[in-house]
Amino acid sequence: MNDHEIDRLLRSAAQATADEIPAEMPFGFDTRVAALWNALAAKPNGIASLLRRVVLLSAVVIAISTLAAVREIKQSREQYNDYTNEFAIADTAIQDEFSQ
Amino acid sequence: MDDTDASALVHAALQHDDEAARALLRQLYPLVAKIVRAHRPHRTDEEDLCQMIFIKVFQKLSQFSGKVPLQHWVSRVAVNTCLNQIQREKIRPELRHADLSVEEQAVIENLTTSADELAPDQRFASRQLVEHLLAALKPVERLAIDLLYLQGRSVEEIRKITGWSAALVKVRAFRARQKMKEYLARISAKEGA
Repeated sequence: MNDHEIDRLLRSAAQATADEIPAEMPFGFDTRVAALWNALAAKPNGIASLLRRVVLLSAVVIAISTLAAVREIKQSREQYNDYTNEFAIADTAIQDEFSQ
Repeated sequence: MDDTDASALVHAALQHDDEAARALLRQLYPLVAKIVRAHRPHRTDEEDLCQMIFIKVFQKLSQFSGKVPLQHWVSRVAVNTCLNQIQREKIRPELRHADLSVEEQAVIENLTTSADELAPDQRFASRQLVEHLLAALKPVERLAIDLLYLQGRSVEEIRKITGWSAALVKVRAFRARQKMKEYLARISAKEGA
């Protein structure tokens, strides 16, 4: 198979392409596409907006739980300090009692 | 459709003017259908692919700058969508002599036995044969052959439609031609055997 043969084949095929009748738009195609486009435009990206909501909600939950955890830690530290003070006083009093 | 008309229609369509969108569809449909017919993957319906392309065109319409003619821009979207669809299918059928019609076999015989141009009544069969040969090529090679040889576009036009460099257009077309020659030689040999 040489270049001349492939050229002849392509030329003949190109003429068949040129002879092709221009495609007619199927009935209702424009209405369908316009409706689909409008439907997609109404909600530009459903998954993106859902993801955005999920991320926002998660951030709020994380912030609230962090605040609660910090508050809890603070409270328990204060309680621990109170107890340790009471124990220290009692311990000192006992030691004083025995040393006398 | 001149550029002023196109810009006006695009502008109106962006304001969600249904009538303008439909007018754009009516005017661009023959162009898109022609590209789809040339590059349609085997397992995708022509109408479905046209619909997919138009939805993409409308979704990206706000990105149309007007620097290039609307037809070129739409052609590019259509070509890229078809290429993506073809690449998804991945399987490229092997070309077998038994798959060719009697008319296509006659075209091959004519090519090998005569040096004359093919007769007008063999145009359709030659087109079918080229379709078979193209189906065995890579999508980008198929595109290069179609635009350059079948649609008769210039390298400059192809460059604008595909975004490839002029050298790449020529290289891809050359490689595709070589492959087509090989396949055709293989089929001819089988026919002779």
